[in-house]
Amino acid sequence: MHVPDGPLPLWVYLLFLVVSLSILGISIRRINRKFDDRMVPYLGVLAAVIFAAQLVNFPLPPTSGHLVGSTLLAVMVGPFAAVVIMAQVLLVQAFYGDGGFLAYGLNLFNMGVFASFFGWFVALVLFKVLKRAVDEKVAVLIATTIASFVSTVASAFVLGLELMTIPGFGLEALIVIVVVHAFIGVGEAVLTFFILLYFIRAKPQLISFLSGSKTAEMAKVAEAPWASPQEVIPVTVVGGST
Amino acid sequence: MERNESAKFVLPIVVVLIAIVSIVILGGLASGNPDGFEWSLFDYAEVTEPEGSFEGIWSFLGEGLVVDVITGVVGIVGVLLLGYLLFRLTSRRN
Repeated sequence: MHVPDGPLPLWVYLLFLVVSLSILGISIRRINRKFDDRMVPYLGVLAAVIFAAQLVNFPLPPTSGHLVGSTLLAVMVGPFAAVVIMAQVLLVQAFYGDGGFLAYGLNLFNMGVFASFFGWFVALVLFKVLKRAVDEKVAVLIATTIASFVSTVASAFVLGLELMTIPGFGLEALIVIVVVHAFIGVGEAVLTFFILLYFIRAKPQLISFLSGSKTAEMAKVAEAPWASPQEVIPVTVVGGST
Repeated sequence: MERNESAKFVLPIVVVLIAIVSIVILGGLASGNPDGFEWSLFDYAEVTEPEGSFEGIWSFLGEGLVVDVITGVVGIVGVLLLGYLLFRLTSRRN
């Protein structure tokens, strides 16, 4: 999903560079001093995990795919920290020639900003629903796995819309890129499942959705109850309330 | 989460990451096919692939599985250090 420099019009690259760098700046301010320095090695290693997972493509003839990891990160450390981690990973990848420097903003928007916030929101909604029926660790695992699939397909749709600014890339190609990423999304979901399963077993304090998480403060998006994984929105019923 | 505890947790993960990446690349398990984006744009929609674009800081090493492993390991360590530096600057001192 790494867009190189060149195929898209210059204004698209510049627009997304401004938008993404602005959101990156906001994200850094939002997480600033919201976590203990003992968390630093864990956050660093999460960035390394995502970089390593994106190094190798799994086969999907005639194409291939790799983990994006934004939904996984957003559930673990919140969408703002996820954007910061993805920004670091994509910067190093740009030096590796995987995604251009001019296209950095576009790639950060698709794989960082959009995928993190959208994936986080889908996972949060699913988690709140599932938590009523199953243990919260099972709920976060199922919610994140499904959300990572949905987020991959949605990000491909956004990328397809951006690519429609290129002459020759029409509606048919948009449908194809979404369908291809539906298969890649299955790979994303499988990898997300196993990586999150490892962290749930080894270090559940690193998962912001879980009770007693050490990342809950940096993961906070808004004060409203809907934005908190632990808050249950009261449902008013006829003749009383719960 | 104490500092020693975090080092005990982080170091094995980095070692395992490097081992997995090395095995997957050297074992030929990684796909060389274009990814979903490249295939849809360049192969399916037949949009021209940009020529003469930047091929990365390691392009002078040429191509090969061993080169991929070495540059991959350098990247993993580089991202880890970059992440450590940035998050250290934005963390709350304890």
